[in-house]
Amino acid sequence: MRKFNLLVLNEWLKIFKKRSFFIPYLIAVLFQAMIAYISHSFSPDSFPSAAAFIKEMLLPTGLGQIIAILAIIGTAGIVSKEHSQGTVKFLLIRARSRTAILASKYVTVLLYALSLTVVTAASIVISGILLFQTGGGETGIADILQSLLYGYVYTVVYVTFVFMVGVLTNSTGVTIGISMFAVMMDKVVIYRDFYKYFLFPNLDLSIYRGGTPPLPGMTLGFSILMLAVYMAVFLLAGFLVFRRRDVA
Amino acid sequence: MERITANQGQSEIKGGVPVLQMNKVTKMIKGKAIVNQLSFEIGRGEIVGLLGPNGAGKTTTIRMMTGLIKMTEGDVLVQGHSIRNDFKQAIAHIGAIIENPEFYSHMTGLDNLLQYVRMSDGISKSRITEVVELVGLQEAMNKKVKAYSLGMRQRLGIAQALLHSPKLLILDEPTNGLDPAGIREMRDYMRKIAEVEGISILISSHMLGEIEQICHRAVVIQNGTLVRVTRLGAEAQTEGEVALTVRVDNIAAAQAVIQAEDGVKLTGADELHSELNIRLYDHKVPELVAALGAAKVGVYRITEHKQSLEEDFLNWTGGNRIA
Repeated sequence: MRKFNLLVLNEWLKIFKKRSFFIPYLIAVLFQAMIAYISHSFSPDSFPSAAAFIKEMLLPTGLGQIIAILAIIGTAGIVSKEHSQGTVKFLLIRARSRTAILASKYVTVLLYALSLTVVTAASIVISGILLFQTGGGETGIADILQSLLYGYVYTVVYVTFVFMVGVLTNSTGVTIGISMFAVMMDKVVIYRDFYKYFLFPNLDLSIYRGGTPPLPGMTLGFSILMLAVYMAVFLLAGFLVFRRRDVA
Repeated sequence: MERITANQGQSEIKGGVPVLQMNKVTKMIKGKAIVNQLSFEIGRGEIVGLLGPNGAGKTTTIRMMTGLIKMTEGDVLVQGHSIRNDFKQAIAHIGAIIENPEFYSHMTGLDNLLQYVRMSDGISKSRITEVVELVGLQEAMNKKVKAYSLGMRQRLGIAQALLHSPKLLILDEPTNGLDPAGIREMRDYMRKIAEVEGISILISSHMLGEIEQICHRAVVIQNGTLVRVTRLGAEAQTEGEVALTVRVDNIAAAQAVIQAEDGVKLTGADELHSELNIRLYDHKVPELVAALGAAKVGVYRITEHKQSLEEDFLNWTGGNRIA
């Protein structure tokens, strides 16, 4: 386990030592501050309380999407850049299995997505408290934590998808392109029964919070199952290809 | 034919367990054999050159040894551990630079080395200092790798390859892109490493001069198959015979003298430069010179005619056609 932790530390350092490391965090914080300020100044009635603001902002329909996009950009290159820079040769001739190396990269992107979520959430909480009325309203701490969870699930599913695409295509640019297209398309709903088996309508679990499901027959349990199946497939494809690939 | 050359390669090992054993390694890509039934061995402390024209399969061979690409058939044993079935044990004995050494350029030299320290077992702090001193990069350790010259990156590459004290160092085209000073430096490092660390080295190259200068043996491959294994610097001692080139003023007269002399073989004549290539025993040389003098043939130069590795190489591989 210690060996594996060291691999994760390696991957984290590769990201952390970049000069641009803090930029995504900065973008997320500034973006939420801007939205908070605009809604506070121009439509102060849109959020009855700080808690309601925080709850909405954390969802995939709020800043969750921005967090996902930033996490996608961070994830897209983690495997393919090793190939394009040629560093993969030194990486793979160590006494560590390819499975362990790829797993350490996956754990690192999950941590990266988590750190982005936590930093953004913290800054949302701060702007909520500063700009909106604390106390009152119906929204409680449980709702906020639920939003946080749903936002993170959305990001993690995307990160897993991007991770697989990155392994399969070996190209950072193509990976970001495909993923951004997916992020833009995921709100579109095709009103046919088969569409509920697609990934997109299941991504945002917050739709089950009181509202009606986007397609008949969809439930929270169904969506969680679909997400689990898709993630398993993504990971399986990524690991199988990475283990067997000839590094030229 | 293949079997004979392969056995010949194995019989030259000095004894003990070979550090590296290539066992009928084959790589097929789209039905074409890039490397075909390649077998050879490397003994303890040996420096071996892997030679071949462009596209002969040198880099493919090395990538299979290091597990970067999978072999279709056969196996590579490193200290008796199979790269196929016991990868972690086998690769732990290998240090390698494959093509150009590429590092994380946004990190310092030390950070890069620490990456590889964390991926190996039991490397002490003192070992890092030791390796850095061996390649002379003490001053540059805290600089980012993007500020390194190619020569410095090459040295950092050696450092990362030596960190875990491997038994076999594999260098793929180590002098590629280096200037003459860098090439010479590289050669010195390799000698030093072989002496100080006492490890075997496999160098792949098409720079024949390089191989000739540092290697004990050369493994020549072409189109993915073994052409021959040759011991370098061994031909000179064959039977005490020497090959000489003599430049004279009158080539016809000289030819007559040489043919009359016992035990001197005329192997070639170059009319243009009025030079003659001959083979004879060492002790015959003064006799021949006296005979030439007696026949009033003016001698300008007598030089030893060494068949260079280059000529051998071109003979073995049938010229420089690119496969």
